[in-house]
Amino acid sequence: MLQPDAGLLRMIADHLQSQKEPVEGPSGDSGTQPDLPRVLVVDDQRLIADTLAEILRNEGFDSAAAYDGWAALDAAQRFRPHWLISDVLMPRMNGVELAITIRQKYPETAILLFSGQAGISEILQDGQRRGYQFELIAKPVHPTNLIARLKQG
Amino acid sequence: MSKLKPSVRTAEELEALAPDPLAHLAAIVDTCEDPIISKRLDGTIISWNAAAARVFGYREEEIIGRSILTLIPPDLHHEEDEILRRLRSGQRISHFETTRVRKNGERFPISVTISPIRDANGRIVAASKVARDISEKIRNQESRARLAAIVDSADDAIVGKTLDGIVTSWNEGARKMFGYTAEEMIGGSILRIIPPALHYEEDEILRNVRAGKRIEHYETTRQKKSGETFEVSVTISPIRDEMGTVIGVSKIARDISDKKQVERLVLQAEKLAATGRMAAAIAHEINNPLESLMNVIYLARTQSVPESKVQQLLLVAEGELERVAHIARQTLGYYKDTGAPTEIHLHDLIGTILTVYNSKMLSMGIAVDTSYNDLQKIVVSKGELLQVFSNVIANAIDAMPGGGVLEINSRKITSASGDGIQVTVQDNGVGIARENLPKVFEPFFTTKGDLGTGIGLWVAKQLVERRGGQIAISSSTTQGSSGTTVTVFIPFATNSSPAAAAEYQHA
Repeated sequence: MLQPDAGLLRMIADHLQSQKEPVEGPSGDSGTQPDLPRVLVVDDQRLIADTLAEILRNEGFDSAAAYDGWAALDAAQRFRPHWLISDVLMPRMNGVELAITIRQKYPETAILLFSGQAGISEILQDGQRRGYQFELIAKPVHPTNLIARLKQG
Repeated sequence: MSKLKPSVRTAEELEALAPDPLAHLAAIVDTCEDPIISKRLDGTIISWNAAAARVFGYREEEIIGRSILTLIPPDLHHEEDEILRRLRSGQRISHFETTRVRKNGERFPISVTISPIRDANGRIVAASKVARDISEKIRNQESRARLAAIVDSADDAIVGKTLDGIVTSWNEGARKMFGYTAEEMIGGSILRIIPPALHYEEDEILRNVRAGKRIEHYETTRQKKSGETFEVSVTISPIRDEMGTVIGVSKIARDISDKKQVERLVLQAEKLAATGRMAAAIAHEINNPLESLMNVIYLARTQSVPESKVQQLLLVAEGELERVAHIARQTLGYYKDTGAPTEIHLHDLIGTILTVYNSKMLSMGIAVDTSYNDLQKIVVSKGELLQVFSNVIANAIDAMPGGGVLEINSRKITSASGDGIQVTVQDNGVGIARENLPKVFEPFFTTKGDLGTGIGLWVAKQLVERRGGQIAISSSTTQGSSGTTVTVFIPFATNSSPAAAAEYQHA
């Protein structure tokens, strides 16, 4: 897979991040902001997780980013997100496994999966066989559309 | 040919013709190729020539004195009574075709001429019988008839022509294939069925055939009486006489237009499959970077100084990126993979799509008018139908660059293919030109120039039909009443077989 972590993209992202707090781990570590809807974004492509978390923060969400399933479970425990947005194909724990664990532990959390890959049908079907079905959005998704979807509830 | 009248010559006349007339006649009889037999009126054989011995298998000494019935199969013995009755009344029996039996028991076809023999007083005392073994003739007749039947029942066109290209025979297959009857073609030039641009081929063919060469499975184009051209495979062989001289040409033509059409379709399918694989591979590689890029540019734009040049530039970049993203999303056929059917209300799904396009439609001045009467849920793959209606709605929006009304209706209907939900998506946009309308469901056909991938409606049709549903389109470009209506029917119960679904996945 192409890694967008080199070159211009990284420079822009670093620049953007330098203006913000570090996003590893939930932003509201010392306590969430009670009024805002909380969104946990999970993607092993850090740039995607970071930029999306930042966009959502700018749009009035309380967001956090995690880069793999285990980190996401840690974050969820502290952050108690209203929404989980997760990539599907990730190393160690895939998005469907993460989503199932979150659904079991925090049934009130709404879940959106997003993926740019073909060939994830087996992972999704595996989830379906276990009785779990999740809404899936195709990458790339324009931030405006994603925000509209989250606001729809 | 002059008819030889049987006559009885006088002894003097015979004496004048040959010095020893009896010996002379005996020699003729004995060297004759055909069996010559004589019998008394009670059927007793009294003479037997060499040919009779050869054909029937009896030597002279073993057959003389025996009954003629020896040579007649038992089931035909009644023939002999009739023959004798007619002989006694002085009649001659000419070329009577019947069956006789050889010494070895073998039955064979024979043609016999039987004449009464009179004594000096004119009394009939015996009969002569000249026989001809016609086994060979019958065999030839039969095989010729069989060959003719084969030629006529062949689906291939089988045509005979002279070395100058004049048609000499024209079978039923040729009539069906080319539309000309045998009467129309025989005696005329073969060039009638060759398109004018290919007339030179005939010279080449005739040159080869004159040189004794055979041309096999030559693929070319021929022309029907209607003027329609079609593809044929022809085999052309020289026809030779007994001496081996080339005297004509036989031509067997097979209509291969179906085969060619299948070949073209296979090629097209292979191209599509290759394109699909390539698209999947590309999308796989670019969707994630696209997602990053989209987020980064969005962030940069929303954080740039309002109304600044930078913000303008980023807005342009975002728009262009959205185009790329749109093509990537469409090309991958992404939702194809999203699995098992679920029970949904169709209007919920359409509502979700409209939410996604809401800001775009607001900015373009498009009003949405919906009327949902689909109170019954349907079992469908949500992802597939999302793709179907996204494509249809996106097209409707694209057709109204200057604003308009997007009207969406859904209702339950009963059709030949069962009960289901019918959704109409109607715009009052620019419409689709009449000549383009039949092509909109073809892959890679687009009216959107660089903006379209040409696979949106094609994919939609594949997905809908795979569910056992139907999709249809009507459109008008008449000013004042222009617009397009797409009607999608989704049955409650799916008729699609797993095999058909698997086939689609494979394709």
